[in-house]
Amino acid sequence: MLTKKQKGINWLLTVGLLILSLFFLFPVVWMLANSFKPDAAITADMNTVAAFIPPAPGGSFFDNYLSILTNTNFLRYMVNTLFYAAILIVCGVVVNGLAGYALAKIHFPFRERWVLLILLLQIVPMETIITIHFLMIARVGLLNTVVGYILPMIVNPFNIFLFRQVFINLPDDVYEAAQLDFCSPLKYFFTMVLPMSKTVVATVSVFTFLNVWNDYLWPSLVFTSSNLLTAQIGLNSITSNENTTMGQTLAVITMVTIPVIIIYSLFSKQIVEGVTSTGSKEG
Amino acid sequence: MKKRRSDSLLGMAFFGPALVLLTVFLFIPMVLTLVFSFTDYFALNPNLTRFVGLKNYVGIFKDELFLQSFFNTVRFVLIILPCQGLGALGLALLINKVTICKKYFKVAFFVPVVMSLAVVSTLWMQIYSPEGILNTLLGNLGISAQPFIHSAKQALPSIAVMSVWQGMGYQMIIFLGGLQAINPGLYEAAEMDHASEWQKFKDITLPELKPLCVFVFITVTIGAFRMIVQPMVMTGGGPSHSTYTMVYNIYETGTVNWEIGLASTMAIVFAVFVMALTIVQTILTRDKEENHVDKKAKRN
Repeated sequence: MLTKKQKGINWLLTVGLLILSLFFLFPVVWMLANSFKPDAAITADMNTVAAFIPPAPGGSFFDNYLSILTNTNFLRYMVNTLFYAAILIVCGVVVNGLAGYALAKIHFPFRERWVLLILLLQIVPMETIITIHFLMIARVGLLNTVVGYILPMIVNPFNIFLFRQVFINLPDDVYEAAQLDFCSPLKYFFTMVLPMSKTVVATVSVFTFLNVWNDYLWPSLVFTSSNLLTAQIGLNSITSNENTTMGQTLAVITMVTIPVIIIYSLFSKQIVEGVTSTGSKEG
Repeated sequence: MKKRRSDSLLGMAFFGPALVLLTVFLFIPMVLTLVFSFTDYFALNPNLTRFVGLKNYVGIFKDELFLQSFFNTVRFVLIILPCQGLGALGLALLINKVTICKKYFKVAFFVPVVMSLAVVSTLWMQIYSPEGILNTLLGNLGISAQPFIHSAKQALPSIAVMSVWQGMGYQMIIFLGGLQAINPGLYEAAEMDHASEWQKFKDITLPELKPLCVFVFITVTIGAFRMIVQPMVMTGGGPSHSTYTMVYNIYETGTVNWEIGLASTMAIVFAVFVMALTIVQTILTRDKEENHVDKKAKRN
C-alpha cells in the first residue's frame, strides 16, 4: 500500500514528466500538424497554438503528401529501400547465421580464435574503412549498382556473434537424430536450426531493416543515379530542391518515418529486448 | 578421426562465406588503410604513389583544418556525453518511479530514436530556421531571435542539442532495463533498516547500475565521435568549418578530394582515438568499482 505522501509524490512526478514530455515532443507534433498545411498557413499559425494543431480535414488536407508522391520519385526511393532491405535480410541471415552456427556447434580448426576475432572486429568503427570500401567498389566498376551497395553490408560481426550466442544453447540430440535420418547439415540448418531460433532471426532481421532504412553515408557514396536512391538520400535530394515547400518537406520526412514506426510497433518487444540485452551483455 | 575431418570441412564450409566477406570487406580494407596512411596515394593519379613514412601523420597535426575538425569532435563529445548520459539516467529513474502513464512516457521519450538522422536533421533545420518555430517560441518569452545553425558560434551546440534529443530515449530504455533487473529484495532489506530514498539510491541503485553506466557512456562517446550526418545535412560542416567533424574530414578528403593517403592517416588516428577511449573508459570505471569495494571493506 502506498502512503498518502508517496501518492502525492507519484502524482507530482507524473505531472512533471507529462510537461517534460510535451516539451520533448514539440518538434514531432509540429512536424505532423504542419505537414497537412500549405506554407501560408504554416507561417500564419507560427505564433499561435494552432502551430501544433493539424488543420480540419478537408479538400486540401493531403495536398503536400499527394504532390510529393506524384511529382517526385519519392515512392520509387521507398520501394528501392524496401527491396535492398529484403535482400540484405535474406543474405545476412544466411551468411551470418551459418557462420554463427559453425562457431557455436561445429568443431573446426581455430574455432575459438575466430570467435575472439569476431568479438574484436566489433570495436573497429566502420567510418575508418568506408573510404576504402568506396575505392574498391569504384575500382571494380560497381558504383551505382545494387550489388556494389549490398556486398560490403552483408557480413556483420555483431550478428555472427548474436547467432552464435543463441545457437550454442540448442540441444545436440536433435542434431544427432537428424544425422541418423541422413539429413544433410545444410538442410538441417534451414529446416531445424533457423525455425528453432525464430527470436534471434527476427531480431537480426529487424535490426538489418532499420540499419538499411536509416543508413545515410554508404548509400550517399554508392548511388548517384537518381532511380537507385534510398529513401534517406532521396529525401535529402527532394528537400534540398528549391521548389519544395516547407509543408512538403515535413510531409516527406513524415512518410520516411512511417515504415520505421510500423516496424517498431510490430516488433517493439524484440527491439527492446535486443537493446537491453546488448547493454547487459557488455556490462 | 574421420568425423573430425568431416567436421573441419563442414565448419569451414559454413564459416567460409562469412570469412570471405570479412576478409574482403574488413581485413583487407583495414590493412589497406594502415598501408595507405604511410603513402601519398592520390586516387586520380595512382601511378605516382610513394611511401612517405610518417609525413602524413606529422602533416595532419600541423593542418589547421584537421585540428579544427578534431576539436569540434571533442566539443561534440563534451556536450553530448554528459547531457545524453545523465539525461537518460534521470529519465529512467523518474519513469521507473512513476506508476501512472508509464507506458506513455516510455514511448514518448523514445519517439525521436525511431526517426533517422537525415529526418531529424531536416526537421530541425526547419525548427532552427531564423523565422522558425523555436525563434517564435523564444520571442514569446522575450528572447531575441537566435541564428542557431547559421552562426559559427551557435551551430555546434545547436546540432549537439538536437543529437542529445534524438539519442536520449535509446539509453533511457537500456537504463530502465537495468533498473528492472535490480533484485527488489535489496530495497526491501534497506527499507527494514529505515534507509532514506537517497541512501537507497546511493547504496543500491547506483552500484547496481554501474556496469550499465560504463556501457552507456562508452556507447554515447563513440556515437558522438562518429558524428557526420547531422552536420552534412544541416550545415555542410559550416559556417566557417565550425561543425566540421573528424569523420566528415575523412569522408571529404577521401571521396571528394581523392587523397586516399591522407584520408587513411586521419582514419587511423580516428580509429586509435575511438578504440583508446573504449579501453581508457573501461579501465577508469573498473578502478572506481574496485575503490568502491575497498571502501565498503574498510567500513566493515
